Amino acid sequence: MSEWAPLQQALISGNEEELCRLVRQALDQGTSAKDILNQALTPAMDVVGERMENEDMFIPEVLMAAKAMSAAVEILKPFLTADELNAAGKVVIGTVKGDLHDIGKNLVAMMMESAGFEVKDLGVDVAPEAFVAAARDNGAQLVCLSALLTTTMPMMQETIAALEAEGLRHKVKVMVGGAPVTQDFAASIHADGYAPDAGSAAKLAKTLVQ
Amino acid sequence: MKSKGRRGGIYRPLSQDQIETIHHAALTLLEKVGFTYESGLEDLLEMLEQAGAAVDRDRARVTFPRSLVETQIAKAPGRVILYGRSEDSHLDLQDHQVHLGTGGAAIKIVDPETGTARPSTLQDIYQLARLVDRLDNIHFYLRPCIPTDIPEAAYDVNVFYACFKGTRKHVMAGVNTEETLHDVLEMAAILAGGLDALKARPFLSIITSFAISPLKFCTQSTRIMREANRHHIPVALSCAPMAGSTSPITMAGTLAQIHAEQLAGITVCQLTQPGAPVLYGGIPGMANLRTMGYLGGAVECGMMNAAIHQMAAHVGVPNYNSAGLSDSKIPDAQAGWEKALTIVLAAMGGSNYVHHAAGMLESMLAVAYEQFVIDDEIIGMACRVLDGIPLDAERLALEVIESVGPGGNFMTSPHTLAHLHDEYYEGNGISDRKSRSKWEKEGASGTWGRARRMVERLLSEDESPYIPGSLDGQIRKRFDILL
Ligand code: B12
Repeated sequence: MSEWAPLQQALISGNEEELCRLVRQALDQGTSAKDILNQALTPAMDVVGERMENEDMFIPEVLMAAKAMSAAVEILKPFLTADELNAAGKVVIGTVKGDLHDIGKNLVAMMMESAGFEVKDLGVDVAPEAFVAAARDNGAQLVCLSALLTTTMPMMQETIAALEAEGLRHKVKVMVGGAPVTQDFAASIHADGYAPDAGSAAKLAKTLVQ
Repeated sequence: MKSKGRRGGIYRPLSQDQIETIHHAALTLLEKVGFTYESGLEDLLEMLEQAGAAVDRDRARVTFPRSLVETQIAKAPGRVILYGRSEDSHLDLQDHQVHLGTGGAAIKIVDPETGTARPSTLQDIYQLARLVDRLDNIHFYLRPCIPTDIPEAAYDVNVFYACFKGTRKHVMAGVNTEETLHDVLEMAAILAGGLDALKARPFLSIITSFAISPLKFCTQSTRIMREANRHHIPVALSCAPMAGSTSPITMAGTLAQIHAEQLAGITVCQLTQPGAPVLYGGIPGMANLRTMGYLGGAVECGMMNAAIHQMAAHVGVPNYNSAGLSDSKIPDAQAGWEKALTIVLAAMGGSNYVHHAAGMLESMLAVAYEQFVIDDEIIGMACRVLDGIPLDAERLALEVIESVGPGGNFMTSPHTLAHLHDEYYEGNGISDRKSRSKWEKEGASGTWGRARRMVERLLSEDESPYIPGSLDGQIRKRFDILL
């Protein structure tokens, strides 16, 4: 653990320059990219996620850490296989049709990316068919739906129905969230998961996709 | 003592120089950065282009020359009267005249029976309207919550119906489509005795969140806004960025961005319908930087809402803004201090139409019946501040002091009797000012409990027939009324 401490410290404090320097140094010293990613970076990002969940960290600082993480992963990329790179899995995320709120959805996408998922963000006002197409074309294991309006929550159910109609429902897990969404609502539309914030969303995603 | 329409403008967080700096910064933003947009606004772009704005369709950018903005802003009325359906409930919005009322689109309500939050219903909107009708310091009724128990397509007509049925006060709400705007106007025209009568004395107005901060037109809301303009129905040009997330983290930067967004919105309205009644609708808010959620109860929200009124007054347009939000989940002490501070600051600033000022909790996500009663008291006190300390020979009371003489007392002086009811805010009954023994005898209850009893008493009164039977039949025949 301690051998990674400087690297992890640089990541958690969002010090991109220092992190990249340390990553390059580790590579130069012959450490495998896979170890750097799985033993140093990902656990450190989990710490960030936890702190975010506990509201112990300011979101702009979380975003700086995520940005540093991406930069570090860029450096590791050439030395990683595609599987190692997006080990966690493939996610399609978007805000459902009729809904334009994206602040929360963006945070969720960012935390999932940092947790090692390959994230395809479809943006806002996304029709069920668009979710279906993206899930199919990207071979996603997880589809994440965000809604902030009581009036657009039914669209989550319609999106799930569209996945069913296309025969994709058994191939993907569906997670839902957004301020008006509850665990009960998620259960009632047969979603596989619900999380109240971005930190726990990324955690839950990992357990769902395993 | 009536609290409505008192004059603020006594708390001015911005100096004249600072107001002008922000105004020019906003004009520069519109000229250099401009607005972006998505599909569905081609008619808007054409109108703006013809008026002299530059539209770059490849980058989806509209930029506004200063002169265009300045000429259009000058066309916006400096006075907007929002009517009620009784002579005592009209609101005269101009200058620094202050009005405060409800607001929001909360999705939950704290149930008085259980004390826990549940989804809000159409019946809640009606009962809250009845409650607000009986609370004198709440000057208007902006639907405070959403009817989660009815189908979405039925929202708009039913929301307005429930409001009209419950209160004579001015009603404001948003609508979801241009079609339902027409439905709502048709229903209101039945109550007004015709569409022309409604347009002449609009007892309803529409919130249109035309801007998605930063600097982007919302297609749907912009279309609704322009359709309301064409019908001469007053609109509140709501834009509510959160400092740190959808506007700069600094207060000054947030004010400049909001002012730019408002100048663009007013320009669009005045080009659509010269002289259209609009309310400058900048609502400075803050992001909770630990979650990026909306932070309502911060003291800076009160400061910024006073400042944004100064910006609206600078361009001579009455304003709609916000105070009285709280991040607390229940009617507790935190709700009390957050509301009192933001409400008194916004009122002292001179804001013309302050929504969210009664009932709101949980950063805009919930309301509570009891909170409306408590906030009525806070608003009453805040408005009392606006009157200041009247001073003339009668009030200075030198002769009275002389006639009572050293060592006497003023309890039976005619002067005391004469001013018994006009010098101090009397309260709506929610503040406990009793002796401890009397308070203990009456159950030793806190504010929340006392407010609950007051709500029960007010709502047990007879229903007022604000929609007479004959018109009710007509409305129900035409629309699917679910109340
Ligand atoms: C900011 C905001 C806006 C901005 C959005 C800007 C943007 N780029 O997103 C603007 C101004 C555009 C806007 C518009 C409208 N809004 Co709005 N808005 C809000 C506000 C204040 C904050 C939302 C937010 O960003 N929260 C911060 C983020 C971080 O939190 P979050 O979204 O909840 O996300 C977290 C979790 O929920 C979760 N999560 C989110 N998504 C997902 C997905 C998954 C899969 C998972 C697991 C988890 C998850 O993780 C996130 C991070 O921790 C809320 C009030 C509130 N307190 O929530 C109203 C609110 C949602 N809006 C409301 C309304 C009414 C509207 C409008 C209809 C207003 C109007 N009259 O025109 C329009 C609708 C436009 C449309 N068609 O969508 C109402 C909703 C009422 C209802 N019927 O449900 C609310 C509740 C405010 C209110 N009480 O009045 N709004």
